[in-house]
Amino acid sequence: MDSSVPPPVLNSPPSKARRYGAQRGVKVFLLWLSVALGAVALSVLLVLAILALAGYPALGILHRWIIGAAGNRFNCAASVADACPLLLTGLAAGVAFRSGVLNIGAQGQFLLGALAGVALTTRFILPGPPWLVMAVAIAAASVAGGLWAVLASVLERYRGVPIVLSTILLNFVALYLVRAALHGPLQAADTSAPQSPQLKVIYWLPILIRNTDFHLGIPLAFAVALALALVLGRTNFGFELLITGLNPRVANLVGVPVARRQLAIMFLSGCCAGLGGAVQVLGVTHFMLGNFGNYGYTGIAVALLGRLNPIGIAVAAVFFGMLDTGSRFVEESSLALPHQMANVVKGVIILAMLVASAWMMRRSRSPVPETSENPTSRDPQQVES
Amino acid sequence: MNISGESLGTFLARQTVQAATPLVMAGLGELVAELTGVINIGIEGLMLMGCIAGYAAAGISGSGQMGLAAAILTAMGTAAIFAGVTIWAAADQIVAGAAVNILAVGASGLAWFFYQTTRQAAHQSVSLGPQVGFQSVALPWLSRVPFFGPVLFDQYMLFYAAVILALLVWLLVHHTRTGAILRALGDAPEACQAAGISVRTWRTAAVLFAGACAGAAGAYLSIMRTHAFASDMTGGQGFVVLSLVIFGRWTIPGLVAGCLLFGGINSLQQTLQTTRYTSHSTFMHALQHIPFEFFQMLPYVVALLALATLSRSSPGPRYLGQAWKQ
Repeated sequence: MDSSVPPPVLNSPPSKARRYGAQRGVKVFLLWLSVALGAVALSVLLVLAILALAGYPALGILHRWIIGAAGNRFNCAASVADACPLLLTGLAAGVAFRSGVLNIGAQGQFLLGALAGVALTTRFILPGPPWLVMAVAIAAASVAGGLWAVLASVLERYRGVPIVLSTILLNFVALYLVRAALHGPLQAADTSAPQSPQLKVIYWLPILIRNTDFHLGIPLAFAVALALALVLGRTNFGFELLITGLNPRVANLVGVPVARRQLAIMFLSGCCAGLGGAVQVLGVTHFMLGNFGNYGYTGIAVALLGRLNPIGIAVAAVFFGMLDTGSRFVEESSLALPHQMANVVKGVIILAMLVASAWMMRRSRSPVPETSENPTSRDPQQVES
Repeated sequence: MNISGESLGTFLARQTVQAATPLVMAGLGELVAELTGVINIGIEGLMLMGCIAGYAAAGISGSGQMGLAAAILTAMGTAAIFAGVTIWAAADQIVAGAAVNILAVGASGLAWFFYQTTRQAAHQSVSLGPQVGFQSVALPWLSRVPFFGPVLFDQYMLFYAAVILALLVWLLVHHTRTGAILRALGDAPEACQAAGISVRTWRTAAVLFAGACAGAAGAYLSIMRTHAFASDMTGGQGFVVLSLVIFGRWTIPGLVAGCLLFGGINSLQQTLQTTRYTSHSTFMHALQHIPFEFFQMLPYVVALLALATLSRSSPGPRYLGQAWKQ
């Protein structure tokens, strides 16, 4: 191997989009759909088989799971509400992965977004009508998430810290920042736990369908997915983001401002995650705890299942939301099985999908060995100038 | 926390070593795997599987050794799934690792539920009896040396195992033909292929070794240092291991130094948390005004700063994170 070729930092971009499954065409889509359904069936069967072996009524559990996920108007709305944060963190991961940027930090960006949202609706309420306060809180949350992501981008650009690493570490920094804030300035008066006070009802996102959990944030999240689908798929800017990730050298040669676009990818990605945090606080929980879910990490899986396509991510998120809502229903029912079993299903689905998509890719491309895709450095110094 | 019997320095050093032990253990495995070109961000999940398997097996069998063996085997089994997906199906390692983490949260939650319900149904205690978990092993003579005795020679069995393993891995990687092959797998897999070395088989072996190490580290958490299980008991330590391997620039001394640094800051912050309200020194009183979350944040900030300021002399295995397609 020629020693003048710079070594790759944890990955090689040229194959990135293909590795994460960015393929087009109706045939590919249908094949994918059947693979996805197969993976779902396989994983559900596996979990039910385990439960049956342990002596639980598998069919009864499946029945309750389905009822809980989509049995009536209320459960359907609950599933979509559960999908909402996953959709936004999934979009965060999807935007970045699609361009070959390994942003594992949606968790931290989500948390900071939620923190900004809760701060601007409990302690630091701007004068103005409630809708304006909520709009400002949501916008600030997106920016907070975006800036937290940009921090990782800056660390890579100027200090050479790989994004996959800095985003993991920044997740923990964000976690403890949030806990410090919830123990300090944002703490509710009547508790010693790291917990914010409850939002006033006027600052709750309005419920659009009476007697359900269907809040305004849900159509907002789907609108973001649609907008991203249009921007990424149909505009020059979206195309520039894509080739910046696929091959920074080529992007540079055709006149794309690579450094600025790399920042833009991370900012956009972080914005989605931050928005998710705010929507979750204002729409669902109405207060914030020191332990605020694992939506960021699950978002990576959602993005993969949705093939990094915003519309696909929306479908995947709704499915994961149904898994969660259904499993909570099972937990609350007389069977009282822990809701973590939804995670087993999710994990198996992703692994099965990975194997299937790797197999599909090998079939659909010419037999070029991986090594011929010459590893190109994503080191920004190489593509600058 | 009882620190009356020993000086604060000894106490802190002992805590540091105890906190660093699982990190070193899991880190050695991850280091070897990364040298061969496989990055496994599912190490958090593997440790969690080790925690629950070790705890449940120790509880059922009544023997700590059985728990440790079960932890190692379970984590190896999970690592085998990861190896199959990433090495043999050539799927993406980052996403597969994330999937392993999600799977492990679910599987450990289910297993913990089954364990609790079956124990309760049989009217047996869910918690481990005092004789079941491991106790620290004081080496004769050496453990009576002031300072070094309690810090280095009165530790859990897995600490001694980690020290020996670190030496062995160091010897293996730097002074044997096997080590040369391991490093070549990550830097020039095509050369290995040309030399008739099966890239996939070797990488699989490395990932399984990493699984065994992570399982042992998990067992350390649930049946050695504490005798308890909680649903999220690894609390991000697997991610810390991942960053410490890179922090140490894929060298064993670097990894161990990073683990000790991280463990040191962590035990310092824990000690500060518990002693600052009772201590009479003005320094401790001044620290009371700093929210303890900032101390918890400190190890991660230090790791970030260290990464940002250290030179990038070694960029790591050339093909790290890339699947090998024959």
